[in-house]
Order: sequence, then C-alpha cells, then structure tokens
Amino acid sequence: MAITRIAPGVVRVERAPLSISDRLYLPQVIMGMFVTLRHLLKNLFNIKGLPIISYPEVKRVYSERFRGRHILTTREDGTTRCVACYMCSTACPAECITIEAGEDERTREKFPVRYDIDLLRCIFCGYCVDACPEDAIYMTRDYEMAIDTRARAVVGLRDLVVPPNFPVGPMGWRPYYGDIDKKGWAGGTGLGQPIRSAPFEDEAPPNPDVFRGEPRA
Amino acid sequence: MSTLTRFSAIPYTGPAPTNRDPYVPANAAQADARGEEIAAKIGNSAMQQERGQDMPTFVVDKNAITDVLTALKNDSFILPLDLFGVDYPQRKEGRFDVVYQLYSVQRNERVRLKVRVAEDEAVPTSTKIFKANDWFEREAFDMFGLKFDGHPNLRRILCHEMFQGHPLRKDYDPAQRWLLTEQGVAKLTPKIDPRFEDVDTDFERVTLNLGPSHPATHGTLRIVVTLDGETIIGADTEIGYLHRCFEKMAETHTYQQVIPFTDRLNYCSAIINNVGYCMTIEKMLGIEAPPRAQHIRLMLSEFMRLSDHIICIGTNLVDMGALTNFWYLFQPREEILGLVEQCCGARLLPTYTRVGGMAVDAPADFLANSQRLIDMLPKFIDDVEKLIMKNKIFLDRVKGVCPISQEDAINFGFTGPCLRATGVPYDVRKASPYLGYETYDWDVPIAEGGDTYARFLVRLEEMRQSIRILQQAIKRGLPPGPVIVDNPYVALPPKSKVYNEMESLIYHFKLIMHGIQPPVGEAYFQVEGGNGELGFYVVSDGTRNPYRVRVRPPCFPIFEAYPQMITGQTIPDAIAGLGSLNIIAGELDH
Repeated sequence: MAITRIAPGVVRVERAPLSISDRLYLPQVIMGMFVTLRHLLKNLFNIKGLPIISYPEVKRVYSERFRGRHILTTREDGTTRCVACYMCSTACPAECITIEAGEDERTREKFPVRYDIDLLRCIFCGYCVDACPEDAIYMTRDYEMAIDTRARAVVGLRDLVVPPNFPVGPMGWRPYYGDIDKKGWAGGTGLGQPIRSAPFEDEAPPNPDVFRGEPRA
Repeated sequence: MSTLTRFSAIPYTGPAPTNRDPYVPANAAQADARGEEIAAKIGNSAMQQERGQDMPTFVVDKNAITDVLTALKNDSFILPLDLFGVDYPQRKEGRFDVVYQLYSVQRNERVRLKVRVAEDEAVPTSTKIFKANDWFEREAFDMFGLKFDGHPNLRRILCHEMFQGHPLRKDYDPAQRWLLTEQGVAKLTPKIDPRFEDVDTDFERVTLNLGPSHPATHGTLRIVVTLDGETIIGADTEIGYLHRCFEKMAETHTYQQVIPFTDRLNYCSAIINNVGYCMTIEKMLGIEAPPRAQHIRLMLSEFMRLSDHIICIGTNLVDMGALTNFWYLFQPREEILGLVEQCCGARLLPTYTRVGGMAVDAPADFLANSQRLIDMLPKFIDDVEKLIMKNKIFLDRVKGVCPISQEDAINFGFTGPCLRATGVPYDVRKASPYLGYETYDWDVPIAEGGDTYARFLVRLEEMRQSIRILQQAIKRGLPPGPVIVDNPYVALPPKSKVYNEMESLIYHFKLIMHGIQPPVGEAYFQVEGGNGELGFYVVSDGTRNPYRVRVRPPCFPIFEAYPQMITGQTIPDAIAGLGSLNIIAGELDH
C-alpha cells in the first residue's frame, strides 16, 4: 500500500490505481494462488505444526491463571476452610453464590451449611477468589462444564470441597502463585495425594456431570 | 505473586476518603477559563456556565438549546459525541439533565451542555442540526421517558415495544419482569428514498428482512430493506436484541463489580473497555496507575486493537467469499487471546484491570511471548494484502461501496477507523493521549473516499501502526514496580498481609463491603476503542454504587448511518459495507 505523509503524525493510505496487468484479473489471481500454495506446501511438510487442536482428543493447555470451575479448600484436619463470611457472595457481580452459615457445636466456629454456586449465572471473573480472606475458594483449570439440566448447574459443597493438600499444580486462578508463604494455607505443597471424589465417605456419589476429579480407586 | 501492593500493616498515610467531598478535576481552572471564552463568543444569555467540571460545561435553557447547538456547530463544534439523560428525582428545578457533548475536530476541544427539564416538559429536537442525535434522542426517550419536540420517529430503540416504564429512571425497580411477545414488535416499513420514489421499473417492490439472526450480520441486528429489482430503495434498522441495560446494572453494583460488565460491551477488544472504565474512576479518585500497570495496559490495548481489526477484516472477507483470509488472520488472533489468557485467565472476557492498576502482574514471559507474536503478525497481514489488495474481484466489490461523505460522517458522530476513512485524522490516542501514547512514534492513518475500500485501507494500516507501537513498547521493557496503587481504599491488600495482619484484613473487608467511594461529582474519560471513541461518563454521589454510568459506544452512531449508506446499493454491497463498519452488537445495544 502506498503511503504519503501529509502532516506530522498523520499518513494517508493512497488508493493506488490498478496497473494494466492488475486489471487483467488473471495475473493477480495467480499471485494470490501462490500465497495459498505456499501455505499448503508449508503445512503439508509440517503436519504436526498445524495450528489446529483436535479437541477433544487433544486439549488446550491453559495457564495457571485460568478461571475455570471453583473448588473449596480444606484445612489439614479435613474441615472446610470457608468460614461463611459472605465476602465472596458480596463481591460476586453475578450474584451466583448462595451461602447459609452454621455453627460448629464443639469449636463454636462458623462454617457453611450450604454453599451453592450457580454455574449458569457465574461469569468466571475471579472476584470470589480475590475477595476470600480465608484462602478457601480457588478456581481450577476445568472448563468442561456441560450439563443436561439447569438444576445440575447449581453445584454445592459436595461438588466443590476438595481434600486437604489438594495439589495446586493443575489449579487455575488463586490468591497467589508459586511459593509465597507456607504457613499451612490450603493448597500448600501436598502433591501426590489422590483427588477425592466426595468430601464425606458416607455421602452419595457426586454429580457426575460437574465433578471432574479422578475416579475413586 | 498476585495483587501485590507492598504496604505493611499501617502504611497508608494519605487521607481516608470522606465520601461527601466534591470532585475537583485537575484541569477545572483551564476548563472554566476556556468556558468563559466560549460563552463570550457564542453570546447567548440562556447559557449559564457550570464551573468546576472537567470540560467547559453550560446549563442551557431548554427553549434556547437549538440556537446554542447551531451556534456551537458554526463555531467548529461539529462532531456530536453523545446525548443522554441523567435523573435527579429530588431536584426542584427540573428532574432530568439532558446532557449534550460536542467535539471540535479543528481545535481538539470538547464542550458539554446540560438542559434541565421536568418530567412533563419536552426538549426541542436537535435532529436537524446533528443527524446522530436522532438515535441518541430515541435512546433518551426509551431510557428516561424524555420527550423531544419535533423528533420524526420518537419510539423505543433498545427496549422491547411492550416494555413498560423507563428503566434508567431512579424510581424504576430493576427487579420487575415484563412479558414481551412477538405481537408487540413494531412493524418496520422502510421509507422509500425520494431519489427512487417516482422511478418506474418493471420490478415489483419487495420488502426483505435481514436478521435479527442472519449469518451475515455478525450479531443480532435487524435490517429491513425495500428492494426494487436488486437495488435497495429504502432501508430501516432495528437494534436492541442484545440489550442488557449495562447502565442500569452498573447503578445497582459497586464500582469494582462493573469491570466484568464492561468486558461484554465490545467483546472483541474487551481490555480496551476495562482500561477506559478504570481510567474514568481513577480520574475521579485523582489517582494514577503505576507505570508498570500503564505499560501492560498499553500493550494489551494495542493487541486488542489488532484482534478487533483482525475480526473486522477477516469476517468481512468471509462475507464476500474470501474464506482463506479469515484463516490466515484468525491464527494470530488465537495467539493474541492466548497471551491475554496467560495474563488474566480468560481469553475473551478478561476482567484484567482493576481501579488503580491490574489484577495481577503480567507473567514472566509476557514480553518474550509478545515479541514472538509481533514477529509472526506482519507475515499474515502481508499475505492478506497480497491476496486481496490487487484482486479485481475484491476491488470491484469494495470500491465505491457504501460510501459516506466526510461531512455526513462527522454529522453522524462517526469516530475511529470509519471516520478516518473519510479523511479526518481524529484519533483519541493522538488528540488527548493517555497511557503515554504521546511518547511513542506512530502515525494516524487516514484514507480518502469513505467507502468500504477506504475502511479496509485504514484498518490494515492501523494494524501496522499498532505493531509499531508494540515494537517500541517491547523494546522499552516493563518498568519495575508494583502493578496496582498502594492505597487500601482503592486496591485490595496482598493476600499474605490479609491472612496475617489485622489492619490489612480490615481494609480488605472495608473495600469489599463498602467498595470504592469516589468523591461526589461527574467525569468523562475517553479512550480509542477498536471502533472509535469509547467514552465513559460517570456520576458519583459518594456511595459505593455509581449514580450513573453512561457509556458512549462508538458503534451506535455508526450503525445509525447505515440505512443511508446502503440506499441505492445492492444486497451484496450492503453486506460488504456492514462488515466493514465492524458493528459489535454487544457494544451497540449496551
């Protein structure tokens, strides 16, 4: 494209008139064909380098900041870290978090009796993670959340809570990355522990359409 | 490291915001002085200057508004930027403010007019002075119930015909639900253009609907055309199919919670929206993002502009049957979205900026990845240029198609590439630089003609200029330092402090529960979006929710001119022209 400078900081892109060979139509079409031919040959000898992801056989690897489905972390003793302070539901722009608080009779600690996230309302902005003062809610890199009924989009404690020392390696958006401090905050270092499919052994199996952990051994 | 301000337990020594402080813009004295000059020049006694604003502001009597607008238009304020309402139900002297914002291309200067009207009063229409105000007045009628005397077609524009009440009024309860059915939809009958009124051809006149879900409209737009043979002799458009009332949503949420909503305006270049909104709030708070955050914002804004232009050119060429270009262009777009995902965890709807900076620092390999992208992008642009720019089929389909004259483009409130394609070198990045654009060496590309071809030329060249800016930005490197301001009334404390220190925990709770509270006042800030000037006008009443957020979507006035542009053309030309305008329904319908 021909460019003329007409003022400081302003250039004009000229409407170049066509030369005679351009007006003949065929030469330029053949030139264009050469461009596509170059791409064809380049791709033909570099099948593996094609910019194509054959989903679902091959899945895109997202970064450790990916904002996918949420999890609720637990303390070393297996209780949920969440203290039902309602900060996440206050910060949520989509109003998709419903919490009901209860009190532990032994320790007098507050804890969530009900913690529901409506994944159809959720806009995956990560504000709940930013708002949590207890290191209790993380986001994973799980983005496959297809469901067949609307009711299944509402995930509760059973689907969200993960065991203590849940590996942070495959985790997505979280309050901090790498090792900042290891004062026993959830996530921690606990690699190697299998992902539990339900928080309590005696409960019914989790919603298969939502929970994507490893199957129970 | 995440949201990392580095303050210790009691670090912040500045004043705590008392939320009834009035907002004093930094340039208030200049704006006042300039306002006096303008008032003296116009010399209309119905203009009362309002002092202490961020641009020359006048309160105008409603009966004099057309005179004042005409006088201002003659005094080089030829570009109508915006017209909207603001509702103050408690105010004695008229409940509504009708706000007009004009821009002088020649002098690079803005002016704001306010007309105060009571609920039952009507404002004289300004559609005869500025064509853009046709839709803006319809929007003000739809949202506030404001009446405009003499408006040719004052009916709802964004809401459904069966919608009851006016949603942006303060006394409208946003929890209401209405049953909206197909029966209530207005029947559109395009007005036949006078040029074709008496032309007698052998063909029967046919009225044809394009959209609202038509593969070539790239969004939910409805275009009704009357055809005579193949010629479009009359056209009308209907929008609002993607209306989510962003502005009402913003009023019911806190300042931080609006940031994710801005993503959904122009979803092809979401970070520019984030930046525009956050910089408006920063302007009101009188703070500035740290240099590192500004650098990241600038780089990602340019990447987003590239991605926006890629979508526009790629999909426009698909509409014209040139599918290969779409593939060549969308590969770098994928990579750009991948870069955004590495920064903030989402590809399309990033929510990356926060008021006062960024949510997290850019990843360690950000500059290396950007460099890789910048190296690969020109090849794809060159390929597309080789394929189309001398191809006679393509040129025949774009040259002289859907043209708009420079005068009309300005009168319709065009900004961005569509305005520059008519030869007006107006770019917000040059006219009122932000984020340090003035320190970079780049040019504003313009083209002559204002047709689809000119818009192609401008967009292709703008992509090259964006690459130029990015090359310089990468060469400079990211400045060291934090990515968010060290102010606990604006930015969340770092998590390690929140977990361990009482003071920070209190700041954290206060900020989530009570939100950011800008001082009382109003501010307008504009950035150059992918399609033109993207402005946010925010009114704060000192509480945690914005009193009013007005977004000036660049698509809105551009699409308003579309029926005029396609009249006299054919259907394939109308499709080619629509693609080159890059109408994003999310932004158009806010």
